[in-house]
Amino acid sequence: MIEVKNVVYDYPSARALHGVSFKVEAGAVLAMVGPNGAGKTTLLRCMAALDNPTEGTIVIAGLDTRDDPRGVHGAIGSLPDFFGLYEELSVRRALTYAARSRGVAQDKTAAAVEEAAARVQLTDRLEMRAGELSRGLKQRLAIGQTIVHKPRVLLLDEPAAGLDPEARRSLSDLILRLSGDGMTIVVSSHILSELEDYSTQMLMIRDGKVAGGGVVAAGAGVRDGTRISVTFVTPPAELSEILSGLGLTLERRDGDAAILLADGGEDDSAVLGKLIGAGLKVSAFQPARKTLEDAYLAQTRPETRS
Amino acid sequence: MNPEFQRNLWLEAAPRRIAWAAVTLVLIYGAALMLSRDIPYGVSGVGDLGVVVFSVCAMVWGARAAGASVLTEISDRTWDYQRLSALDPWAMTWGKLFGRTSLAWLCALSGLLVQTISSVIVGKPALIVLFVFLISLAILLQAISMGGALIGVRKARAEGRVARAGGVLGGLLVGAILLSWVAGSAGFQRGQGFEGLSTALGAGSNPIDWGGAYWTSTTFRALAVSLFAAWAVVGVWRLMRLELQMRNSPWVWVGFLIFLAVFAGGFMLRQGGMTGALVSGVLAVALCAYAAAFAEPADRVRMRQFHRHARAGDFARAAPLAPSPLAPFILGVVLTIAAFASSLGGYIRPEVAQAAALMAFLLRDLGVIAICRLGDRPQRGDFAAVVALGLLYGVGGIIGWSVNHQTGAALFAPLGSAPLMSLVSGLVQAGIAWALVVRRIGPSAPPSAPASVPAS
Repeated sequence: MIEVKNVVYDYPSARALHGVSFKVEAGAVLAMVGPNGAGKTTLLRCMAALDNPTEGTIVIAGLDTRDDPRGVHGAIGSLPDFFGLYEELSVRRALTYAARSRGVAQDKTAAAVEEAAARVQLTDRLEMRAGELSRGLKQRLAIGQTIVHKPRVLLLDEPAAGLDPEARRSLSDLILRLSGDGMTIVVSSHILSELEDYSTQMLMIRDGKVAGGGVVAAGAGVRDGTRISVTFVTPPAELSEILSGLGLTLERRDGDAAILLADGGEDDSAVLGKLIGAGLKVSAFQPARKTLEDAYLAQTRPETRS
Repeated sequence: MNPEFQRNLWLEAAPRRIAWAAVTLVLIYGAALMLSRDIPYGVSGVGDLGVVVFSVCAMVWGARAAGASVLTEISDRTWDYQRLSALDPWAMTWGKLFGRTSLAWLCALSGLLVQTISSVIVGKPALIVLFVFLISLAILLQAISMGGALIGVRKARAEGRVARAGGVLGGLLVGAILLSWVAGSAGFQRGQGFEGLSTALGAGSNPIDWGGAYWTSTTFRALAVSLFAAWAVVGVWRLMRLELQMRNSPWVWVGFLIFLAVFAGGFMLRQGGMTGALVSGVLAVALCAYAAAFAEPADRVRMRQFHRHARAGDFARAAPLAPSPLAPFILGVVLTIAAFASSLGGYIRPEVAQAAALMAFLLRDLGVIAICRLGDRPQRGDFAAVVALGLLYGVGGIIGWSVNHQTGAALFAPLGSAPLMSLVSGLVQAGIAWALVVRRIGPSAPPSAPASVPAS
């Protein structure tokens, strides 16, 4: 759905992106992470066909950003980090303008507006002026404007900046719902925790380059290999030997809690059955998830060493 | 309906705003009627008030609103959102140009209605030509204002700052003053074409001599302003295309330059023949080169890309990146050669030799402007360029004059007194200036941005 190939971007006195390449498959939620000033916003602007890369190509939904920028604009929804709204327009009119200016037919506009308002939970505020909305509600309206034409690709730059915890939670839920509808989503942020809930892939940008191994699976619902987090009730001193006899490896132990490594191919219920069968009292059992932080640290560690 | 036009109507022509405007206009016209009741020709005076209302509403308020149609998007941070829409550039252009000015136009047209009624009452002849002139002039001013805003936005983006209405208005005013000053300066001293133009604008009811024929002044003015208004709207559309990330071929710009050269040359045709007309064309396009050099964003990256594609012979990619002063410069050179050719068989007339010297100095000046504007602080570039050119022409001219009056001064300006010396001096200085420009544009790959701050 998104293919970025050898993208170079120059500012007059500095090179911001150095041959960035990666691919994002349809339906993925890609967390684009990296330090402040790494080049994330520049890359997102190039992907949104708001700026032209100095070299390289970006293809979004089959459209080249340089050859068909207006086609790309019609195919995507993009929300920059600092956005504005037409504060004098009502929410309904703001969404109507967004729909019409993004190619929704006149006879389908009203339905598209209602649907977008429902998705961002603004149905009960359709007649309010945008300027009267709170920060969180304005963010919802901005996202509503961005998705009203049902884009195939959604680009969000620091979407949770300035939101309170409740608003962040509803933003996460919205992104999960949009992802469930098949939208390909790229979210940029330098705060890993806010991306944790909904991202399925991660791309790290550092000093204008792709760091680590490019796009990696991480975040929501991504299993971290064969790791299992287990909490025992009064674990025996010879726990490591017992686990060894069961074909499991004790990777780490911290009091009653332990991280086990199971053989590949063995399902979780079989592992749990083995533990209980060996007389171990298990109070918690959870397959480990690979957090964005794990993936981020795994990618930065080799560079730190070098 | 065009969504951009619709949105502007929602904001500008809301019923409450229309009602307030109507009340204000009724009060103005009512007061005028009351005052003119007992005055001879008072009805005619009310008609004239209608023209004043039109001028204020369409030309002042409308021009301000047209510029604001872009600049408020910048200040409200909605411009990128608009650039991401699927609207085509023409829809965006006319939606803003006539949507944002809709209330101003409603009020302005009431003035023309009052003028029409007044004319019918006093039995004046038809006012169609006057109305065409006024409406075209209003559209011209509004399009210039919106075009200036779009230029300001592009310049500001390249210079890492935010475009503001004051800066754009100031830029337009200072630009107009400087260009008119250059047109009347010693270097342009043979620019009778501009004298012809100013004569035409102030000709009153006298016939206008253009293209070897005499034209009724009112009709000529209305037609000329209409044509310039059409070009201005085309210019705004082309600038909007650039803002929406589309590429422009240079041919429309070249078309305008040819139109301008023909228009300026037409005033000289009877008096100076074809050679004089061509020289006037040179002067007109040279002024456009100066204007374009300042209007262009100071973008070293684009210059590097243009150079790379042109060097590789990829002219299809190079053409949209070409610096906009390039076309008027090339056209000026072509017209100068044509002027030489047309004067063959006789003696080389002084204005032809001076036109050649003018092109050499234009090349130098474009280099000086580029040096100043492509520095590390491009936001000061325009001012630095004006100062640098002022020093070169002013101080340089004084030094040259003190050394050897006309001949010495000709080293620092394209003077008719020693045009060949001006030509050689201009070319040498242009060579030095452009060598410095190449150095300033820098290597094809700039250094990396400073190291970034770790994520939290």
